[in-house]
Amino acid sequence: MASLIQEPVDDRIYSLNLGPQHPSTHGVLRVLLKLDGEYIVDADPVIGYGHRGHEKMAENRTYEQFMPNACRMDYLSGLIYNHGYCLAVEKLAGIEVPERARYIRTICAELNRISSHLLWFGAYVMDLGGFTPFLYAFDDRENILDILDRVSGSRLTYSYCRFGGVARDIDEQFITATRAFIARLRSRWSDYHNLVTKNVIFINRVRNIGVITTDQAQRFGVTGPSLRACGFAYDMRKAEPYEIYDRFDFEIPMETASDAEARYLVRLREMEQSCRIIEQALDQLPAGPYRNDKVPFKVKPPKGEVYFSFESARGQTGFYLLSDGTSYPYRLRARVPSFSNLHVLVEVFKGTLVADAVSILGSIDIVVPEVDR
Amino acid sequence: MAKKDEIVQKLEQILPKDAITKDDQYRSGVALSAQVPVDKLREAVAQCRQVGLYLEAITGMDFTDGLQIVYHLNYPEPRARISLRVRCGHGEAPPTISDIYSAALWHEREVHEFFAVSFKDNPDLRRLLLPEDADYYPHLKSFGKVHSYRKWEEVYG
Repeated sequence: MASLIQEPVDDRIYSLNLGPQHPSTHGVLRVLLKLDGEYIVDADPVIGYGHRGHEKMAENRTYEQFMPNACRMDYLSGLIYNHGYCLAVEKLAGIEVPERARYIRTICAELNRISSHLLWFGAYVMDLGGFTPFLYAFDDRENILDILDRVSGSRLTYSYCRFGGVARDIDEQFITATRAFIARLRSRWSDYHNLVTKNVIFINRVRNIGVITTDQAQRFGVTGPSLRACGFAYDMRKAEPYEIYDRFDFEIPMETASDAEARYLVRLREMEQSCRIIEQALDQLPAGPYRNDKVPFKVKPPKGEVYFSFESARGQTGFYLLSDGTSYPYRLRARVPSFSNLHVLVEVFKGTLVADAVSILGSIDIVVPEVDR
Repeated sequence: MAKKDEIVQKLEQILPKDAITKDDQYRSGVALSAQVPVDKLREAVAQCRQVGLYLEAITGMDFTDGLQIVYHLNYPEPRARISLRVRCGHGEAPPTISDIYSAALWHEREVHEFFAVSFKDNPDLRRLLLPEDADYYPHLKSFGKVHSYRKWEEVYG
């Protein structure tokens, strides 16, 4: 009778739940691990704890009403999502954006990218047992939150962009504070490298750990820093230049080792590139209106569809909008990078130690509400 | 030769001539859009895999006269995205592509739980984002409150 109730037990294989409340999973993610001793033989991520049905909500809301939803998918780079959603609708409806607004949006989106990477940097090192860098990173990140808080009114889920511009203009104080922040962040690089990058304990935890092969990246659709660590200099800001990214001189950082250390190095160098973009944008910032006044109260795009792709902090993100000519989207689909980047772990986890699984999970930089949508 | 041109050539060999729409201006975000008959889907996707494209997303769409499933594929080079479109009736089961692209394992699970599409030969169609005992298909337009429910021709015509 017992055999009917209980599944047959293989005494060699041990099942372990990583999450859903594990501190290293950064949200409610549960990974069902099958272990042989300390080694993982099978991993099955169980997702959906934070599913809110954003795509369904869109079908019952006007384009404007959906605006606050976009930044709540990936709450760490909310402004980039908000920006991307506005760009998608503007492309579909053919809305013009004033020059000044395009610069303001780019500056704010890049600031948000740095803040997202800083949070990842701190949280990742803390996953591996180092508490001090976490406090350093949050100290720096706090400056960005203050800067963006002044113009957008929020600290995390920024709904700052509007169709045809931004909600509020920036002032001299914003520019001074941003320049001061960049100077401060640059002076911190040597601290970060001395504290973490050259730290032998850190190196032992990340080098040759969690290698994603080119074939795996292709089969699973891995993008973002994880793909750039595999030797592809692929970034939507260069591949499909949107907004005004084609006017700036910046590089796409690339590594070839494909391991957790490569992903770490790519992200650190990306922050420096974002600083370069912000500096150039501030230098070129034109005067003029910050918002297009001719945008109608209810945006009504013509029939048709658009797939708009942009680079969030975690990889290639896309909004796929289908319009039936009314002010409500007929279908909205969000292609989120963390979904694919998490899926590849099913294969990457196989044969690694449980302790390394924590390191690999951190190095991918997933945001669970974005996976669940 | 750019990957984009390579895949255009390969798809032209498989699909009927009028099925492919090219868009060099990239107006809707894809360089090429192809209406694929259900029985040619696996062949077309296998060609994409051979050329080296990756699967970006599988999107389901509900119309009164059937479903449309859109496969977006891309390659790490500028403006290379293509879309393959399959139309099928409610309750029909298009073939799985999860043995060609591993990413489709999750994407097909998602389309299945939201649109009630049971992909033929997919090894694992458990619920992904919804609770495991969910007996509803929330992205069908008949579920919940939606603004409009139209025919395919009304939207695309």
